[in-house]
Amino acid sequence: METKVKAQKNSEKKKTILTEIWRARYLYLLLLPFLVWLIVFHYIPMGGIVMAFKDYKARLGILGSPWVGLKHFERIFVTPDAITSIKNTLQISLGRIIWEFPMPILLAIMITEMPGTKVKKVYQTVFTFPHFLSWVVVSSIMTSLFSNSGVVNTALAGMGMEKVQFLGESGFFRVMLYVTENWKEVGWGAIIYMAAIAGIDPTLYEAASIDGASRLRQIWHITLSSLKPTIAIMFILKIGGIMNAGFDQIFNMRNDVVKASSQILDTYIYDITFLATPNYGFSTAVGLFKAVINFILLTIANQTVGILTGTKMFSFRKEKVKQEKPAKAKAK
Amino acid sequence: MANEKVKVKKKRKKWTGLEFFCTAGLTLLALLIIIPFWNTIVISFSTNAAYVKSPFSLWPKEFTWDNYRNIFRNGDGLITAYKNTIFVTLVGTLAAMATMIMAAYVFSREFPGKRFLFLAAIFTMYFGGGLIPTYLLIKNLGLLNTHTSIILMSLASVYNIIIMKNGFEGVPMDLQEAAMIDGANDLKIFAKVMLPLQKPLIATFSLFTAVGFWNNWYWPMLVLNKSDKTLLQLFLKTIIESASTLKEGVAAAEDLSTMIFTMGIQMASVLCVILPIMVVYPFLQKYFVKGMLVGSVKM
Repeated sequence: METKVKAQKNSEKKKTILTEIWRARYLYLLLLPFLVWLIVFHYIPMGGIVMAFKDYKARLGILGSPWVGLKHFERIFVTPDAITSIKNTLQISLGRIIWEFPMPILLAIMITEMPGTKVKKVYQTVFTFPHFLSWVVVSSIMTSLFSNSGVVNTALAGMGMEKVQFLGESGFFRVMLYVTENWKEVGWGAIIYMAAIAGIDPTLYEAASIDGASRLRQIWHITLSSLKPTIAIMFILKIGGIMNAGFDQIFNMRNDVVKASSQILDTYIYDITFLATPNYGFSTAVGLFKAVINFILLTIANQTVGILTGTKMFSFRKEKVKQEKPAKAKAK
Repeated sequence: MANEKVKVKKKRKKWTGLEFFCTAGLTLLALLIIIPFWNTIVISFSTNAAYVKSPFSLWPKEFTWDNYRNIFRNGDGLITAYKNTIFVTLVGTLAAMATMIMAAYVFSREFPGKRFLFLAAIFTMYFGGGLIPTYLLIKNLGLLNTHTSIILMSLASVYNIIIMKNGFEGVPMDLQEAAMIDGANDLKIFAKVMLPLQKPLIATFSLFTAVGFWNNWYWPMLVLNKSDKTLLQLFLKTIIESASTLKEGVAAAEDLSTMIFTMGIQMASVLCVILPIMVVYPFLQKYFVKGMLVGSVKM
């Protein structure tokens, strides 16, 4: 008896799910192109990761090539170039967090505090424009400015000072990486913070100024504390990308002199794959090593920031997502 | 009226130290961004002799079109690149927008398997096969040296889909329910109710996507190695690379006036590549910003 009831219940459940799926048939249809693309261009290459555990031979194909276990991964840690590129990646990313991450926040606050709506708009157009140029373009412009025979050095020489190898000396090159990326991205990065600032309840400021709080104190206690959730999310994204130290920029700006000191994992993978005799297994292993660390870092950062501020980029449990919404409504 | 009053008030009010500091700082930043572009324009219209005398000047001293003419001295690669880039940008943007809008709408609705599929999409933002497996995939699909591969590689961005999904979620559910009661199916609701409401969002993301295709250089560099397939960014890269090798060869030349002005050609090429963006950007800037806001408010 009981089993019968259960079976009936089960089949009823199945039926309701099937009817739900049938009801959503057009939704699946609309999603289909994206799903096919996702599978072909993301999940199939993900399957290609097995190459990291194989000695890839083109004539045997990915599946036919022999397994070699962790050989390639072991090789990463005994290859000086690979170790250097890991070190450089971490150093440059850390430098970016220190020298680049706070800038858009600062800029957003400065724009908000600046008087004059029209001027503000013109400025914002100027600040955000470089974001829409490629690094190929930006690096050409920067080279014309900072190379040995560039504008800045000629000006320095003209003033009787010594030329500075901005792009041809490893220490300066690092600094130039931060400077040029700030130049390109700071205005764009500020938009998200400006939006958050625009969403702050103006009565908070009114109340604070009635209480006699100076503008700087208001910025500290109201603006910055209201920005916390946005900063948290941007920080998560930044931490999750720590192993990508900016391929586009470095690839386009580097030269032979600074190549060693600016070799990051991505440029290293490119070099060993396309400039030398390729060892696809090893290249894939380096790539996988990078991706796994990135993913772990992102998860840790996501959890930590979630605990600290109650804001998470994503959550794998359903209840938490729901909890998030009322909290956000309050923040607005 | 009210606006005027505010203006009068502001004019009378003395600037605080903070306001002065912000205005000064931001003016400096604006100059730091504008000057390199202006300098690029000046160099591109200068002769080599004038440039060597003073690389930074506010106005080209010996105005010339030679640098632009010299871009074509090795054939009309620029024209080919322009044609190809326009094609890839147009077709790519259309295809990508269609794919992304549909996906974004679906993810704004509830249906069996949504969570799994959504997480599967998000997962690819943070983890992927990497360079080599993707390159081999393109190769195995026979898509090397095709523009199709360039379009397919950037067909969708999960990040944009999430933002557009948030946009769709902003539409009150009543509207869709009303349409459902009227007997409209999901396709109709999507096309007739939701799409028209999201026009600004669609316009914005089309712009983003178009700029993305215009600026695309990484996969084109790996995948396209025939000169008739080249794209603008790739073309610019070749100009810069060939110029830097040329420089060493010509450095010995004494007569500056007859020497090919590599820096001038480079800057002229840069301007040719960014000209369309430069021209339209000031007018479209607010759409870009709006698009960013739609996403960030909900994020």
